Formats: sequence, C-alpha cells, structure tokens
Amino acid sequence: MSPLLRVEDVHIRFGGVVAADGVYLDLEPGESLAIIGPNGAGKTTFLNICTGYLKPTAGRVLFEGNDITGQPPRAIVRLGIARAFQIPQLFLEHSVLDNMLIAAAARTRAWNPFRAMVALPERAEMIGLLRQLGVADTAEQRVDGLPEGVRKLVDVALALALKPRLLLLDEPTSGVSSSEKFQIMDALVQALKNQAVTSVFVEHDMEMVSRYAHRVAVWNGGRVQMVGTPADVLADADVRRDVVGI
Amino acid sequence: MTPQLALLATLDGIAYAALVFMVAVGLTMIFGVMRILNVAHGSFYAIGAYSAASIVLGLTAAGMNPWLVFPGLLLAAVGVGAVLGTLIERLLLTRIYTKEPVLQLLVTFAVFMILEDVQRLVWGVRPYFAAEPVYLLGNVQVVGIFYTAYQLILLPTVALLVLVGLRLFLRRTLSGRLIVAVTEDREMATALGINAGRVFLLTFVLGSTLAALGGALASPTTSLVPGIGADMIVLSFAVVAIAGLGQVEGAAIAALMIGLGRSFAVYVMPELEVVVPYLVMVIVLLIRPEGLFGVVERRRI
Repeated sequence: MSPLLRVEDVHIRFGGVVAADGVYLDLEPGESLAIIGPNGAGKTTFLNICTGYLKPTAGRVLFEGNDITGQPPRAIVRLGIARAFQIPQLFLEHSVLDNMLIAAAARTRAWNPFRAMVALPERAEMIGLLRQLGVADTAEQRVDGLPEGVRKLVDVALALALKPRLLLLDEPTSGVSSSEKFQIMDALVQALKNQAVTSVFVEHDMEMVSRYAHRVAVWNGGRVQMVGTPADVLADADVRRDVVGI
Repeated sequence: MTPQLALLATLDGIAYAALVFMVAVGLTMIFGVMRILNVAHGSFYAIGAYSAASIVLGLTAAGMNPWLVFPGLLLAAVGVGAVLGTLIERLLLTRIYTKEPVLQLLVTFAVFMILEDVQRLVWGVRPYFAAEPVYLLGNVQVVGIFYTAYQLILLPTVALLVLVGLRLFLRRTLSGRLIVAVTEDREMATALGINAGRVFLLTFVLGSTLAALGGALASPTTSLVPGIGADMIVLSFAVVAIAGLGQVEGAAIAALMIGLGRSFAVYVMPELEVVVPYLVMVIVLLIRPEGLFGVVERRRI
C-alpha cells in the first residue's frame, strides 16, 4: 500500500536553530502515529510544515502521492489534512454548533449569503460529530464558557468537520487533568476510527503513547531518531535516556 | 427654551442621527472586519447622494409615477455600493491588506481625493436639490408642530431596520457568522479553509452600500454641494470613536448623542453647532479611551 503521507529529506532552520535536518517519514493509511521527543526537537515544526504554515528550505512533502510542499494552509486543508491545536483554536464568541457549521461551510464552500444558520443542511451531521465526541450537550453553548477539556474535544470535532483524511494533533491532552485524559483520548480515538481518519499526535505522556499509538516516531535534533511499535521504542535504551528521562 | 422648541430640536436630532448612523455603522463594520480605516467611505455617501438626486430629478423630468422615486433612492444606494465598492475592494484594497496602517490610510485618503474630483467632473459644483420624496410624503403634526413625514417617520424607520437587520444578519445567517468569525480570528478562519477574501469583499460592499444609502436618503433633505462627503466622514469617525470600533448598537447610540447634541446647539447656542460632535467625542474619550461600548483588544495567545 502506498503511504498516505510521505516526507522526504525535509530541512528548515530558524537563524541558528535547525528545526528540521533531513526528516524522513512515511505514514500508512488508518494508522495512529505518536511523535515524542525532547523540547525543541522539531515536533511542532514538523506539523507546521505538513499543514503549510512553514515552507521547508529543502525536501518534499507528498500527500496521497501529490506534492504539497509549500502550498498555503487553506489549499492543504482542502486536500484533506486538518489540524487540532495544543491550545484549542475556536471562535470564542460563537456557540459550539456555530463553530462547527462555519467549518462545514468552509469545507463545502456552498455559500448562500443570506442562508439562516438554523436552516443549514449540515446541521444534523455536525451534531452527530459532536455526539461521537461526547460533547453534543454543549452544542448551543458559547465556547468562552466551556472548560478546557470540552474545548479540546470541540476543537477535534471542528477538525473532523472538515472531513480530513489525515488529522494532526498537537498535544491533544495537554492542560487537561490526568483524570480526564483517558476519557478525552478514548472519545477522540473512537471518533477517528469511525471517520476512518489517519492521525499523528505529538505527546509527552508515555502512558498515552503506549495506549493509543500504533507506531511511535522519536524526534531528536530535527531528525527522526527511531520509528517503531510503542513497546520497541519505549524499551530502547537511548530513547529511555533522552526522551522518557529514566 | 420652550417645550415646543425642545421637541423640534429632538425631532431634528433624531432625523439627523438616523442618517449619520447608517454611514457610521458601515464604517465601523468595515473597520471591525478588515482593520482598515476607510477614508473613502465619505465618497460613498456623497456619490450615493448625487446619484440619488440625479435619479429623482430624472424620474420627475420624465413625468413618471412620482412614487418611483423611493425605489430610485434604494437603487442609487445599492448600485453605488455594489459597483464602486467591488471595484475599489478588488482593484485596490486587496493589494494593501498586509501593508502597514499608515499606508492603508494614505491609499484610502487618495481614493477619497480622486472621488471628490470625480464628483465635480460628473455633477459640477452647482448645488443639487431634489426634494421630491419629502414633498410626496407631506407633513405630519406632532403636538402642534408640523414636521416632514420623510424626516419624522421614514428616516428613523429605515435606520431602525438597518440596525435590526444588521443584528439579525450578523447573528443568524451563515455569512454573518463568517464575518464575525473572520473578525474574531482571521488566521484561524483561514486555517479552516474559509475564504477571507470573499468575506472582505462582502463586508466592504455591505458597508459601502450603507454609506451610499445614508447619502441617498439624505439627498432630498439637503442641497448637495462639493464637500458633503468630507463633512460626513469626519462625523462618522466621531461616531465610531465614541461608540468604540466595531460596535453596531453603540454606533446607533453615539449617532443619537451627536444628532441631538448638534440640533440642540442649533437652537440654544448656534455658534457651537459645528463643535458639538467633537466636544462629545473628546469628553467620552477622556473618560473611556476605548469608546462607550468598545472593549480593550483581547490578548491573543
């Protein structure tokens, strides 16, 4: 099977800091890959390159065989790569459902200027997505009144509203109490499975990694140091020393 | 001041506030969404007024059904807003969205100057007066005062419709929600795949149409001379500053403050008439620098 995403020899530097120094990575359709690594290893930079926010100085990014290197974020979203952020990016002054409908409108590009929000055909579908993530009861609430954990799930629902084939998540459970973490990840992984979305998530919590990832990629100094199953990677002596910190 | 005079001043003030509100709310919307302070907004008011006067005079001269002048006023507003608004946004503003505010201000000021001369070329410097719509609606009596129905009923009604309509549009329609979303966080809206360019065009045309509507509705009540656009843009800036940038309901209240302040000054201390709007503005800004209803820019993480 050809990879969903292929990253070839990608380089980028910010002044003296080399954030990507020859990154190679293949992503199989349907898998869930965790990215771990010390701070400053270039994990978020990698997500930014894949989503078009940063243009690499060398190398290529292929999505479903098409070269998307350096394309603007909007074009990449349309091709099917969505992203959820470490700090949820939501329109705070809108209700949860309005946020979803705005994303749906961005996806379909059907735009009748005077169409009422209550009459949009995507309404049921969006409520269904919220239900999958277990936050349907917040649909009519304004985002700025919601707790962080719920916002995270709404952020993921928003990304899924774009019907991506690949979803990149930057620390999906950061800033959430440890009791909520598993609940959030369970809902998230189930929703990704239902929608058949391949996912990449940056994570610091090794327990989350071993529980939810099919494969793990270890970042270090702007390179992929190692790729393997969670069991193999977490058993590796170098990884345990540099990343896990044991 | 007799009660009758006070009532007269109040009616004058409301009628004037209705016009100022329509222009100012367009200006504040454009600024709220696009972050461009559009000096050329005054030109839309002036050209809307002149076009409306031409249509009214043309219809009257052609001996058509006189009531056609009302659709004529609306047509002038929508036509000027849609055609001129689209041209300016697409050809000029799209090039300067990423430039620094000083340059944006200079460019819209240049557009304003050019359009001032275009008005002189097309309509000359002779005053235009096309009061047919005011005569058609006649006068009404309010507590012993005769007042034109056009200014007493039509202008405030249209202003209220604009206020309520804009509120519903921004809250309840997809386009309105998209406009608010782009205002709140343009980067994120783009990340979702929303075409911010299209939202900008829609906003600019809508805001410009409101300015042209203000002009078209003002044309029957005043004589049109070169310079009306400049007067109106300065007043609109005062309204927007008093209300706080991007505030729709606030603009209505600020317009009323300025309208009433000005009309009362006319009767009480005529020499203060011109200064009153700025006095109100200075007092408000001294107490609340962000405007009456403005919010201090939220910190973005």
